[in-house]
Amino acid sequence: MSFVFKKQIFGFMDLLRFKKLVPKRREKLEEGSSAPLPMTYRVNETAKILHPGYQSAKLMKIEQNTADTKTYVFETQRPLYFRAGQYLTVGCKVGESFVARPYAISSAPRAGLSKILSVTVKKCGFFSGYLFDNAKVEDIFTIGDPTGEFCYEPIKDSKQVLALAGGSGITPFYSMAQAITDGTEDFSLTILYGAKTEEDIIFRKELDALVSDKIKVVYVLSDEKKEGFEHGFITAELIKKYISGDFTVMMCGPGAMYAFADGQLKEFNLPIKRVKKEANCVGVRDVKDAEYTLTVHIGFETYKVKAQAKETILTAMERAGLQVPSKCRAGGCGFCHSKLVSGKFSIAGADKRRLADTKFGYIHPCCSYPDSDMELIVPKA
Amino acid sequence: MKKYDAVVIGAGNGGLTAAVRLLQGGARVLLVEKHNLPGGFATSFRRGRFEFEASLHELNDFGTADNAGDLRDLFDQLGVTDKIEWMQIPEAYRVISRAEKLDATLPFGVKEFIDKTEQYVPGSRESVTKFFDLAEEVRLAQAYTNSVNGKTDPKVMVSKYGNFVRCGSYSVNEVLDTLKMPKKARDILNAYWCYLGAHCDELSFVHYASMVNRYMKRGASMPKMRSHEISLAFVERIRELGGEVLFNTEAVKILTDAKDGGIAGVVLDDGTQIETRHVVANCAPHLVFGKLMDRVPEEEVRATQARKFAGRGFTMFLGLNKSADELGVENHNYFLYDTMDTAAQYDKMRTIKDNNAQATVCLNRAYPECSPKGTCMMYFTTLYMSDDWGNVKPEDYYKTKNYVANKMIDRFEQDTGAKLRDSIEEISIATPMTYAHYCGHPQGVIYGYESQYWDGLMPRLLMMAEDHKVRGLRFAGGYAMRLSGYSSAYISGDIVGRQTVGDIKREG
Repeated sequence: MSFVFKKQIFGFMDLLRFKKLVPKRREKLEEGSSAPLPMTYRVNETAKILHPGYQSAKLMKIEQNTADTKTYVFETQRPLYFRAGQYLTVGCKVGESFVARPYAISSAPRAGLSKILSVTVKKCGFFSGYLFDNAKVEDIFTIGDPTGEFCYEPIKDSKQVLALAGGSGITPFYSMAQAITDGTEDFSLTILYGAKTEEDIIFRKELDALVSDKIKVVYVLSDEKKEGFEHGFITAELIKKYISGDFTVMMCGPGAMYAFADGQLKEFNLPIKRVKKEANCVGVRDVKDAEYTLTVHIGFETYKVKAQAKETILTAMERAGLQVPSKCRAGGCGFCHSKLVSGKFSIAGADKRRLADTKFGYIHPCCSYPDSDMELIVPKA
Repeated sequence: MKKYDAVVIGAGNGGLTAAVRLLQGGARVLLVEKHNLPGGFATSFRRGRFEFEASLHELNDFGTADNAGDLRDLFDQLGVTDKIEWMQIPEAYRVISRAEKLDATLPFGVKEFIDKTEQYVPGSRESVTKFFDLAEEVRLAQAYTNSVNGKTDPKVMVSKYGNFVRCGSYSVNEVLDTLKMPKKARDILNAYWCYLGAHCDELSFVHYASMVNRYMKRGASMPKMRSHEISLAFVERIRELGGEVLFNTEAVKILTDAKDGGIAGVVLDDGTQIETRHVVANCAPHLVFGKLMDRVPEEEVRATQARKFAGRGFTMFLGLNKSADELGVENHNYFLYDTMDTAAQYDKMRTIKDNNAQATVCLNRAYPECSPKGTCMMYFTTLYMSDDWGNVKPEDYYKTKNYVANKMIDRFEQDTGAKLRDSIEEISIATPMTYAHYCGHPQGVIYGYESQYWDGLMPRLLMMAEDHKVRGLRFAGGYAMRLSGYSSAYISGDIVGRQTVGDIKREG
């Protein structure tokens, strides 16, 4: 060392000071309060309202919206808050298995703070069928964390949002319309809502009541020609009729609607950031029947279960009664992130995994189909 | 009942490292993590066509194969280096501070840094060179300390590392004063302070100099697939070595032995009881002694109560639909401050309203292919030096988040001249609530306990042995003896992993 460091005139004073570091800290630690340490903290309590995790909820009311749609109103155990447009899972025990499915929240975020939450369900599959036929007031369900990015982002989205809704895809927009009305959100929402017939319109009365200078609702009936309604599909012409200038498109509905809307939107030349689509659950795939064996490690246990080539790996595990994590069922949220030990698989749609997941062999069972026998390490639900 | 030699609670950087070390020492290990991913903050997430780095700005003390830092040596020993693709960060930082009208861009390399500072501040060469001389002695003294497992010989310390001992009790600013460093050079040199989260009147010189020196000597590194690649590489390694890793699994209780008060077991969230005599806790002592342990000695309660939480985190992630060139984002790593009076800046960072400081990264400047052609990714981080987010009600949460995000964008545009606002394709924002949710830290703290003068790096290292009071319980991660930050957390895991192996061996 080319120089001698001295802070005080005599270097040994610096040495003495160094020696005092330990006694000084010892003294400070002994001076701490002996009062019990906090069990929780304010930020952590707020985080529990924003991310409540699984909780039980009592079914308070069932409303029949249309012939094949019902709204289920729950009282949750704890308050929760979310962004209009988000979804959560609703589940319960069906037979021996716990079954849960994601549904868009149809109530306003604000109601969640008073522990009121509703989802709107179209009868179309196993669990919705179960709800339709069996759920009754006072029943207890398990609901999950509000999740999803299908929300208005004031920093990047246009102040004008064009909502393209198909069938029960109106649900997140109904929540948004309520949030705009009660002042939670601030943007203008033009909803083009496609339904087969007037009878199939969900929340007709409620939506009409919310119409304001910020909220516009246009019903587009495909199978019916009626006064006061647009007829046909949501075309570029129709879009131009109701909105102009800069706008963000948000779509929620069946895949066929997205394909059609993408074609109609071409002429608007919208950048990627101006178009959002809510993902749909991955369904069955069209392949030849085949059956494989999955070896599944969960916690300290190992299970062998059968899997059909047509169904996702998640479905196979659920059918076998295994308690495994699921949330979006569309490959995007990563909640079912599992380690592949061996075996082959195919992914439905785009691969939404992280780069390192692909490298180290992790898969999302909710959007992956088995192509051979497989061995997996899956976290418990 | 399931029985393990050691249970590691939390798969953060410290916990992952401790688990590998324990396994290498022959222990049977169970690692439990309440989240469904490993890494704690060391992770990534997808939005649209972007995969964002969740927290890592740049990895300190890693270096390259032919200029290896201590951390690379550690990763080599752990057997994870080659599982990860690495890249080097091109330059150290650009610091912009309004009060002083400071705008300086600094390179890596000790000589290069000194030369560049001399250009900005003629006459600074001597004092800045002395800074690095001192810093190098600090590094050598630390290496000696590690080589004797903390049991240093005072005579060796004073004779061989006299300067280290003489400067070892002072703050950054006290030492820079003594070196008579010109104010502007000091302002440039102090830019990294927010990485350690205590201002330069409090922050231990040894701690700061050690970090700056390692950055300059070894440069900084990043894994190509974000820090998630490191975290998964660790899990891979743990499983190779026969360790058990359980995700979505929270440890809800630590059981103690009625006789000696030491560790007897761990209870998991599904009620499973694990028998073990050793726990490595990769979480806050506040949680362990406040919530998890059934019997807590009063001295541990007092010691924990005495400590101060460090910064609570806030990060905004932007996926932009233009390239960094098109946007005018010139650098990889920015520090934007109101003032280089770090104590005054620290004070402003107490509240949501007054905090305008940010440490910002454009990953494409280090790794152009990290996002699709014609796009780039940025993340903007700040710290809150009080529990102000505790005042935010759930119904005001999203508005508050966006308020801060808007301020961050405005500030970046004003200070650098870049234009971001119209090109935002994806945005995601993490707040103290987010960190509290994913990692369980009290108040959303991301920096562990603050490096206050009395609780800085040196006294913590010197007191490692006496801080270990409950038999079988040791702490890894940002709350532990090496304080916070990626490399510190990995090194703390190495230390407690090896110590616990020793504990197990002694028990026979």
